[in-house]
Amino acid sequence: MSPNPRRLVPDLVILAAAVGLFFVFPYDLAFLTRILIMVVFVLSLDLVLGYAGIATLGHAAMYGTGAYAAGLFAIHVSADPLLGLAAGAVAGAAIAAVSGLIMMRAHGLTLLMLSIAVAQVLQEVANKARPVTGGADGLRGIRMEPVLGIWEFDFIGRTGYWYAFTVMALVLVMLKVVVASPFGLSARGIHESPARMRAIGTPVYARLVAIYTLAGGIAGVAGALAAQVTSLVSLEVYSFEHSAEAVIMLVLGGTGRLYGAVLGVALFMTVEHLAAAVDPFNWLFIIGALVLGVVFFVPAGLMGVPGALARLGRGR
Amino acid sequence: MGPFAATAPCTRARHSLRGDTVKPILHACIAAVLAVATTSGIARADEIKVGVIVPASGPFATYGKQFSEAIAAYQEINGTTVGDHTIEFIYRDSGGPNPDQARALAQELIIREQVDYLGGFVFTPNALAVAQLIEQSQTPTVIFNAATSIITEESDFFVRPSFTLWQVSAPMAEWALANGITTVVTAVSDYGPGIDAETGFTAAFEAGGGTIADSIRMPLATTDFAPFMQRVRDEAPDAVFAFLPVGPTTFGFVKAYNENDLRGAGIEFLGTGETDETTLEALGDAALGLTTAYHYSSAHESPENALFLSTLARLYPDAVANFASVQAYDGAHVIYEMVRAAGTDGPAAIEAVKGMSWMSPRGPVTIDPDTRHVTQNVYIRVVDKDEAGNLINREFETVEQVPDLGLVNDY
Repeated sequence: MSPNPRRLVPDLVILAAAVGLFFVFPYDLAFLTRILIMVVFVLSLDLVLGYAGIATLGHAAMYGTGAYAAGLFAIHVSADPLLGLAAGAVAGAAIAAVSGLIMMRAHGLTLLMLSIAVAQVLQEVANKARPVTGGADGLRGIRMEPVLGIWEFDFIGRTGYWYAFTVMALVLVMLKVVVASPFGLSARGIHESPARMRAIGTPVYARLVAIYTLAGGIAGVAGALAAQVTSLVSLEVYSFEHSAEAVIMLVLGGTGRLYGAVLGVALFMTVEHLAAAVDPFNWLFIIGALVLGVVFFVPAGLMGVPGALARLGRGR
Repeated sequence: MGPFAATAPCTRARHSLRGDTVKPILHACIAAVLAVATTSGIARADEIKVGVIVPASGPFATYGKQFSEAIAAYQEINGTTVGDHTIEFIYRDSGGPNPDQARALAQELIIREQVDYLGGFVFTPNALAVAQLIEQSQTPTVIFNAATSIITEESDFFVRPSFTLWQVSAPMAEWALANGITTVVTAVSDYGPGIDAETGFTAAFEAGGGTIADSIRMPLATTDFAPFMQRVRDEAPDAVFAFLPVGPTTFGFVKAYNENDLRGAGIEFLGTGETDETTLEALGDAALGLTTAYHYSSAHESPENALFLSTLARLYPDAVANFASVQAYDGAHVIYEMVRAAGTDGPAAIEAVKGMSWMSPRGPVTIDPDTRHVTQNVYIRVVDKDEAGNLINREFETVEQVPDLGLVNDY
């Protein structure tokens, strides 16, 4: 990591925002926790889509597997939350590694179709395995122990909030390290031109599988968090809408930038939440207008807004 | 503005304190807030809020529409006050089956909006996701639809005036046996409710000495039913028992049933909610003669139903009453009765409605004191035309007072 302290400013802003929100909106912690979990999921997607340029609409495959793994782990093995997170990460990474071996051989539309197919197949498996997963009724009976044996999951959602925030912060820091490392740079290189990367000696296929597996582990953590906080896992964790919404949030914030993922999720979900509370029957119009506006006027996403304004200021 | 003024010192208390002392203070604050909310009736009648979590957007948005219209009709008939409590319904959109969202919304409604009752819930996972929450907050929760038997066992604070698939498919099987049908092929969509319907029908039919010749599970999204119809034909049963979600699949199935002339081959159609009022017109004359067992038909003849329908038509000229409407209407009734008996006291409210009977637009109903699920008449109906030429579900036989057979049989 660079020793330049200015680079830490955005992280401090996020930390301050998390503390501030906790006190300003003490009654909205459940919703804020959902945002944090979604941030983890979209950060993982950013690594795949934004950095490595792997086109996917099936990222929920790893999220869902992590959620079911954490849920089943809590019911049958141990209800310790941290062990559950590890189980979710391992399961998400395992699914990503196995499916990645096939998917990373494909490109473009084929890859897109394969990614959707994997998530759909897993959803159908979870549906059929009713005795294990509860099928369409959902996996119930998850009762978590206190985090580190100290903080119990409370009714207001304070433990859930700080727990999710800590995990999100750790993931963000880890990804900052990863994307600045030679490994992360090679991912960007593959995104720009796989042929050139191959020419300078990068094992492109193996590198893509590795990145996909890492992102799968992070998505698995997000799913595990959701399972632990909600205490229920349903088939919808694998849904196409879930993958697609994550892509929209990422595009909204700006792909290929970690803070873009944070910003996109926070904005999308806040607008959705407010609009849906004001008019639960017609709020989708607002969301549609927001996405259209960003795509038309700032195609680079919200992270591209300062750049766009600067260009405007220079009279171009 | 009483409740809001009271929260300010609570927020400050949490700024200045850390650790274990926070919890009791916060609880005391919430209690104080609730106390203020419930005793501020000096200036005006106090308000009891009911949070309703429903799908109001996306493919299942009809449920939200049916629910809110029926609740508006109930409030039009019965007023918006019970004793000196004003009842306000607050809607939140859950989208489709989405337990994370449902739980977060319930938390928000209970903690921030300070609702004393919850209602809604179309999908089983959404209802299950709030079970632990309502147990902790002691919030009575009225399920307007979610139809898996297990739900009411998950928390003592669930009350369900809707139905279960066992409750309607087992009477269908018994009626079939009583009317000389001895072999049946079941054809259901391959998902939770479809499997429940198949299990319920099969259990009752085989217990009565009938034979299930074949159990077909069809992909949820398919609209081409010709191959399944051929399989049914080959078995040459007396009837086919179908369960499909309302929508294109039902149209496709009924169309294929007619095109392959199964009725001509002596194979009766038996179903449950396939001929629901909101889809009848779209099905058209192809639906004539279909036999179903269900708990509500808008053609039910009773003064209660007439009042409900006329009020609904006055408020919403285009509205069509169906099972979802009557379930929300009765859900509102259960909430009103709980408020009348216990105000905001959750446990007492639940006790008060155990064993409660009333005359619903669907007929006489009772909340079973053990399961907190509704015991109701199930009607055997056939699709027919009324005097004006509109398609209706004409009730011609009644199976009296059916409990939730799914829990009784415990499969």
